[in-house]
Amino acid sequence: MWFFRSPDVIFGADSLSYLNNIDAKRIVIVSDKNIQHAGLIEKVIKNLPDNVEVHTIDDIPVEPDFDDITQHMDGIRSFGPDYFIGVGGGSCMDSAKILFALYERPDISVYDITPIVKLGLRKKSHLIEIPTTSGTGSECSWAAVVSGKNEKRKNELASPEILADYAILDPEMVLSLPLNQTISTAVDAMTHAIESYVSSWSNPYSEALAEKGLFMVSHSIMDVLKKPGSLELRNNVHIGASMAGLSFSNSQIGLAHALGHSLGAVFKMAHGTAVGIFLPHVVSYNSLEVDGKYSILNNLFPEDIKGKNLHDTLIKMFKVINQPLKISDLNITRKSFDDNLNTLIELAEDSTGITMNPVEAGREEIKELFVKSFGD
Amino acid sequence: MAIFPSPEWADEYVKKLNSNESYKDSGKTWEDTLTFVIEPDEKYNKTWYLYLDLAHGECRDYKYSDKEDGVPKATFIYKGKYSNWVKLINKEIDPIQGIMTGKFKLEGQMMKIMRYTKAAKDMVNTASMVDTQFEA
Repeated sequence: MWFFRSPDVIFGADSLSYLNNIDAKRIVIVSDKNIQHAGLIEKVIKNLPDNVEVHTIDDIPVEPDFDDITQHMDGIRSFGPDYFIGVGGGSCMDSAKILFALYERPDISVYDITPIVKLGLRKKSHLIEIPTTSGTGSECSWAAVVSGKNEKRKNELASPEILADYAILDPEMVLSLPLNQTISTAVDAMTHAIESYVSSWSNPYSEALAEKGLFMVSHSIMDVLKKPGSLELRNNVHIGASMAGLSFSNSQIGLAHALGHSLGAVFKMAHGTAVGIFLPHVVSYNSLEVDGKYSILNNLFPEDIKGKNLHDTLIKMFKVINQPLKISDLNITRKSFDDNLNTLIELAEDSTGITMNPVEAGREEIKELFVKSFGD
Repeated sequence: MAIFPSPEWADEYVKKLNSNESYKDSGKTWEDTLTFVIEPDEKYNKTWYLYLDLAHGECRDYKYSDKEDGVPKATFIYKGKYSNWVKLINKEIDPIQGIMTGKFKLEGQMMKIMRYTKAAKDMVNTASMVDTQFEA
């Protein structure tokens, strides 16, 4: 027995106008300053029904800790929303999930947000997620990543009940996404698809979404970088990334995410860049066990980028789109890397991504992958 | 071959757990007590408790009983019906999926145990290493 879970997904041009149909009176928007400055919150508000009251939180930092999020609870409780709308990248959407859960259940701690606790949410409100990047998959996932106060660890909260009611994928919301973020989030999306496809929890639903998601992202991302203003190309990557998000949300992430979360926690960097560094190495590491599945995925890449195996294809593609291939490409010195290696290994060992990877990885294997990924 | 559940099975399980290098590694920062509860169903008509005192990748003490008060109170309790334990030991389901599908229940501080999913998996893998005989 297993499940397939998904929000209602509204996608394509003008999908933001769906907001006009929601039966809401008081809405909390959870976002950040950059999204505010880009005019994207205004775009959302313009599409809401008339006469709704809006309480906007626009100070979610890039990597929020628990306090950055929970400091808003008093204001939210006195406002009394019937909808939460997360607008932004993974941090904003994940923060919206956590605020929604804590508003619904003031008696719980964030640490109760796990797949094995029945929370009983949706007594007072609902959740909508609107991504402004194409890659995190947070709009379709029941996970939320948040840093602990004063600790490097990234906590991976997860509960099927924090899955959004609606995910709205409007390509207009990613048209102005800077190219560096377009690259790192697309790499994150491809990593979601590849890792979920071989996860020990993979299933026919997650596999189908991984295949189509990987196809859509890999066939459009290089063209998006040439024509970032193309709504059609942006739409392809946006939908593909969301499919990859649905895929991993219904199976699991793997070792590249475990290592990437760890690297990102110690040396601050874009999440997609971090997981992408490890992906080709993890593909090689897993190959003996899941080579057949990797061959299927390799055949989904565009012909002109396809190598003799998935590892080679990824290296080729990453070179073309300027995704760094080694940790040493990220201005991290050998000394700094060596000084932090034990912490990196320990953080990776604690990640749930280790558990569902198709090949077991203990301390020595994790260390070897980190060292290989550092490069020269 | 040890019958599951039985004192002989518990002895063999703990012996294998303490010699499992993978568990030694994944459980090295984990210090807790955990009781496995095997609940009755159509194949097994008793309730059986296996209490494990886990510290730094080792089981430093264990107790078993067919009465709840026959073992110390543990910080975590993992319980399910006998036939689901058989599936778990045969690796037909994994320990977290077992909870999510309602076949097992876990009591204790959930977020803490989510950090030790690899250790939990190693504990289950260890159970499948015991030469086990199940009820017919």
